[in-house]
Amino acid sequence: MKIYNDFFGEFGGRYVPEVLRPPLDALEAAFLAAMGDPAFLAELESIRRDYIGRPTPLLFASNATREIGGAQIYVKLEGLANTGAHKINNAAGQGLLAKRMGKRRVIAETGAGQHGVASAAMCAKLGLDCTVYMGEVDIRRQRPNVFWMELYGAKVVPVTGGSRTLKDAVNEAMRDWAGSFADTHYLLGSALGPSPFPDMVREFQSVIGRETQAQARERGLDVAALVACVGGGSNAIGFFAPFIESSEPRLIGVEAGGRGAGRGNNAARMSGEGALGVVQGYKSLFLMDEDGQLLPTHSVSAGLDYPGIGPQLASLGRTGRVEFTSVGDLEAIEALRFFAREEGIVFALESAHAGAHALRLARELPKERAIVVNMSGRGDKDLFIAARALDPDAWARFLGEEAASYGR
Amino acid sequence: MAAEARSPLMTHLVAFFPSRELSLAAARGMIDGGARYLEVQFPFSDPSADGPLIQTACSSALEAGFTVARGFELVGEISALAGVPVFIMSYANLVVRRGVESFVERAKAAGAAGLIVPDLMPGSDERLYEIGARSAIEIVPVVAPDVSEERLALVRSMRPAYLYAALRAGITGRYTALGSENHRFLDRLRPLGARILAGFGVSSPEQVAEIRSEVHASVVGSALVRIILDAAAPGGAERLDPERLRRRMGERVRALSGPG
Ligand SMILES: Cc1ncc(COP(=O)(O)O)c(C=O)c1O
Repeated sequence: MKIYNDFFGEFGGRYVPEVLRPPLDALEAAFLAAMGDPAFLAELESIRRDYIGRPTPLLFASNATREIGGAQIYVKLEGLANTGAHKINNAAGQGLLAKRMGKRRVIAETGAGQHGVASAAMCAKLGLDCTVYMGEVDIRRQRPNVFWMELYGAKVVPVTGGSRTLKDAVNEAMRDWAGSFADTHYLLGSALGPSPFPDMVREFQSVIGRETQAQARERGLDVAALVACVGGGSNAIGFFAPFIESSEPRLIGVEAGGRGAGRGNNAARMSGEGALGVVQGYKSLFLMDEDGQLLPTHSVSAGLDYPGIGPQLASLGRTGRVEFTSVGDLEAIEALRFFAREEGIVFALESAHAGAHALRLARELPKERAIVVNMSGRGDKDLFIAARALDPDAWARFLGEEAASYGR
Repeated sequence: MAAEARSPLMTHLVAFFPSRELSLAAARGMIDGGARYLEVQFPFSDPSADGPLIQTACSSALEAGFTVARGFELVGEISALAGVPVFIMSYANLVVRRGVESFVERAKAAGAAGLIVPDLMPGSDERLYEIGARSAIEIVPVVAPDVSEERLALVRSMRPAYLYAALRAGITGRYTALGSENHRFLDRLRPLGARILAGFGVSSPEQVAEIRSEVHASVVGSALVRIILDAAAPGGAERLDPERLRRRMGERVRALSGPG
């Protein structure tokens, strides 16, 4: 696959007001130059090894496999990357690129806060000023990550417009960038937005897929399927990247099924009611009404709660190379509990959607075959949501006591 | 009033903000005040090129029941008032969702003079320019100061009758202090031979006067949206009174073109 495609079938492109065209042209040129520069690649490699902690492990989930009694379940532990999720792979690549372009300031959007944390950490390390836009709703549900971003020295700006979630944070970052691109890089966190972002994010995330391919080969696994959750699509496209052009293994994207069918209850674009649109600079499938107004979405996980999907995944869904399905809030939380009990690993709520589908799939496949699920993040950030869902009384008591202790 | 007698102004309003009736009253006021063109924004849920004021206006307009079909009806009504050309401004998704062809046809049928869709620029326009030319409706490209010569050449090849010059980078709403670089930018656009509509941060008679000789019309947006916002706010003097809003808007637009 080429490094730079711009369009993926009919999806993708650069549908932006003219003001954003010069910075995107400059970014495209800088990205292509960097990817051909051994010094840039060497620096990225050393950050991957020494700072991110790559390669991340591929764990055989032996207890889970035994419990389910079907195909072997393997978990790619991206959540063990420094800062807790795959988001750092992209933040490292784009952070180095920003530095190379002579930018002094970075802006980012975040939903679950993992991309914000990764950007803030990378900026601390590289000496760049960092501002993160985050919807008010997400600030409330992912509060621990707000604290970490601020500790890394980033400014977290609450977004109060629209649905106050991820899409609104993207809008706000685009507004900032339209006036600040002279000295500022927009570090977009998923494989969406105007080109070159979808290509660039895939390239920086494809390290997940390359490692998985090597690890599976080393162990002689007969991989039947790769399973990843899909918000905007960055962990999925990075995980799938080395396999897109072959017909094996099956590639499965899992969207947020939320509370079930019906407008506003989920974020299922491919497995739901996504329609063709041009939003936030790219053409893809979006959840919208008859007029093209974006619809509200819902997911227990802030990172999957987005009405659009990256253009390359939309295209691969159209061609059938990537299959899409959805998992609801409750099934995701149940998978989180299951993997904690069986394997001693805590999935981020986003990744738990993929974990849940891997369990479904393992039941249908024979024991000789393997399924690899990408645990895109670990669940530390979801402490408040998980505790409320799984042990509400004890947690409420604790929070009450904790709050009271501040008053004393 | 003949077109020549009107002021070199394109005034902007958001359809259905704060209600259908009041946005119509605001349009009437703009026409009373002598505006030569009206720009009617069709609100989009995610106006990522707009500042806080127009964002608020758009979400309130959607709550007030705006739909694209009702928007076209409103444009039809405004177009019929006094022969002042109406341009519809919106974001790509509203156009693409309905289908570019159908959107253009419906706009034409409503009597709109043109369309301004900043995120459907030449080369990434979903055939908007081609379809617009076929339907004899003006498609107005929006250019910004850092536009490259190469891009300007592409814009020129569309032979636009009107060209919207965003006087600075950034989003709508913030005041633009006009300086020599704005004049240089307008100089670069002149060879295209299009009628230049210049906006983004133009809110005072002084600004309108300063660029008057260099442009076909100045576009005034957020400053007028603010008048409507104030009128619509609880306790606003003109609250729910279309006639007073119309009068107030007329005075304000008249003042923009300055004495004489
Ligand atoms: C752990 C984790 N996984 C997945 C996602 C979804 O994003 P993407 O689809 O780009 O991987 C997020 C987003 O915040 C995340 O934090």
